Amino acid sequence: MNNYYQNKGFSVKVYTQKNLSINDTLVENDFFILKTKKLQFLYAGYFLESKGIPVIPNTNISFKCKNRIEASFLLKNLSFNVPQILLGSYEALQKNLDKLSFPLISKPIMGSGSRGVKLINSFHDIKRDFNKIFYLEKFITGIHYLVYFINDRICVGEKIPLVNEHNSVKVIETPSDIRDIIFKWKKAYNLLFGHLDIVRETSSNKLYIVDPGSFPEFSNWKCEDEPISMICDLIIERYKNIKKNTKIQG
Amino acid sequence: MIKIGLIIDKYHLEKKVKEFLQYLKTVAEVSIYLEESLLLDFSRLNFNENIFFVKGKGELILNLVKLIENETSIPVINSSKAIRLCFDRFLNSVLLKKIGIEVPDFSVNPVGVSPPFNDYIIKNVIDQKNYTFTPKIQSKNGHLQISDERALNEVIGGKQNYQFFYYQRFIKSKWEYKVYSIGENFYFYKQLPVLINPDKIKSREEINPILELKEIVIKIKEILDLKITSVDFLKSKNGKFYVSDVNSTPNFNYIKNGPKIVGNFLIEQAKR
Repeated sequence: MNNYYQNKGFSVKVYTQKNLSINDTLVENDFFILKTKKLQFLYAGYFLESKGIPVIPNTNISFKCKNRIEASFLLKNLSFNVPQILLGSYEALQKNLDKLSFPLISKPIMGSGSRGVKLINSFHDIKRDFNKIFYLEKFITGIHYLVYFINDRICVGEKIPLVNEHNSVKVIETPSDIRDIIFKWKKAYNLLFGHLDIVRETSSNKLYIVDPGSFPEFSNWKCEDEPISMICDLIIERYKNIKKNTKIQG
Repeated sequence: MIKIGLIIDKYHLEKKVKEFLQYLKTVAEVSIYLEESLLLDFSRLNFNENIFFVKGKGELILNLVKLIENETSIPVINSSKAIRLCFDRFLNSVLLKKIGIEVPDFSVNPVGVSPPFNDYIIKNVIDQKNYTFTPKIQSKNGHLQISDERALNEVIGGKQNYQFFYYQRFIKSKWEYKVYSIGENFYFYKQLPVLINPDKIKSREEINPILELKEIVIKIKEILDLKITSVDFLKSKNGKFYVSDVNSTPNFNYIKNGPKIVGNFLIEQAKR
């Protein structure tokens, strides 16, 4: 992205965890691209937006995609199926063993992708930690899809469950029910691009959304068209629209 | 009888609400949702309360409140928005500053990068746990540099895996002012700052209402969606008040008849 923008004549400054200080000195660019959802970067996003500087994708949608509970509300509000969620302390899980139906998946509340994700086949797989609130999801048995979208382009890959975005996938034609979900998701939250991890449950053939992402790596985009240029152009277009609307409102 | 759900953690249940519960049980039916023993199943909801009251700010509490808000129309005091914005020092400072409320200058900096001011306090950016401020005070070239042990622990060796510190400019103030608000009622106190006297309650005294502070608290309640709160202020040498802390679960036991006032407020809200 950096190269693409620089080749087009834009001046780009890259902020990482090591050089990102959030105070008035940060307000020196026309707009910001929020590529990571770590807390430090979300703070930068909220700070910049409070100063009227555009952040793309917007900070709140990035935060909500990162927070699995907020993400489940975003999805449920569109009537999408999401896996059953359980939340509780070690003590509470132990006391309610009869209510737990294994296998479950343990995930961090704040997180995306496969980082920190663990399959729980029995209570013994849950780490004894009395200071933690566990987030558990029902494991949906079925076909797992990694679904990318950039504007109106959709690229679907079948993948092995519980692996990260970068593991190889088998590209397939986009099923119409998945296409409908993507367009509804994209339209409802005014998204330019992103991804959804979707599972088609074997027993019911229902689609469950197990993870949304606001800015994936697109490392498994194996469809025609090159993702970087499409994404970069969309971001510039969005920035121009924001500026235009700000001028009209002003 | 009005049904009140109390969403609470063990710490608050054991130490902070004895009198409040005693009173509440005389005027309402109370059900307790205890963070440590509750298994929250997002697909099975069965609430029959008229109102919920929250005493705590832990992860399960916050998410239970979000769930109630998302799936029902039962009022919750305080809301998940209020809870989150109060315990996240950075976010509340950004919001308050945006609407013109004075907060001490603040900066988030990667470890090893100094903030753009010399006298500062390093604070824990997410103030979600029930533990107290343990300051480490240093003087460097005539400048005061204070750090909260919790903040250092979060970054160095903590579970949070932060790579940054949250700095707040140090405001020298003779007194710390505290304003409690329960609905439309306001209560004013002052006490010696914790850095001068760690036993802040010992020096606390009730003071006459300060209109300027009341107006600020009204604005804060609106922007942070708070119904019950306490707000701390520092007063600089030139007489300017700075908001140093906003609390979504204030200890109302310090207010005369506090537990009764809060209980009656909840009943009144439930009847609306």
